[in-house]
Amino acid sequence: METHAENPPNGRAAGDGAGAKKLGKRMERVGHTAEQVWDRTRDSFSDIGDALDIKGRVDRHPFGTVAAALGIGYVLGGGLFTPLTGRIVRLGVRIGLRLAVLPMLKQEMEELVSTMEDEEQGKARQAASKRTTRTRGEEP
Amino acid sequence: MEMTEKIEETARELGARVRPQIEEAKRRFSSMSDSATTYIKENPGKCLVGAIAVGFLIGKIASRRG
Repeated sequence: METHAENPPNGRAAGDGAGAKKLGKRMERVGHTAEQVWDRTRDSFSDIGDALDIKGRVDRHPFGTVAAALGIGYVLGGGLFTPLTGRIVRLGVRIGLRLAVLPMLKQEMEELVSTMEDEEQGKARQAASKRTTRTRGEEP
Repeated sequence: MEMTEKIEETARELGARVRPQIEEAKRRFSSMSDSATTYIKENPGKCLVGAIAVGFLIGKIASRRG
């Protein structure tokens, strides 16, 4: 009894068998190569993870790491040179100036005021001493 | 004098009424923050990839508008 696989109508039974074997070998090789590529990629990713110490960073600063990832995504999305970035930077600068410069200015103003007060007190003392010497001089 | 006393009393009453709500809000915020921290520590990869994706989307929207 003949089957279509052994003797197909186009008459290429022997050739097809060899071809199928070759194809099988090739498929096996491709599978092996894909496995190797996957292993290497996984190793590379684990190496990168070890180098960046992502787990440790997340454990130490969970919100900071997420914020950094958000920033990386924002830059990758092309949001760096946009008006929104300008607005965010301006807001950050304003808040930073308020937090950093205002206490400094306050301290300077306090020092200035205390210096002026000292000068005023010195002048008042001088005027008082002059008055006392004058009154003493007028006394007979 | 009476007016000042009245204002002080009203402020005190208002403070007494609002304080428990503020305390409750603080407690809730603290609990939410703790659970978020725990989730991030348990699933760092998911959170980081999600954050990058969200940032990417925001960047895309911002670049389209600008």
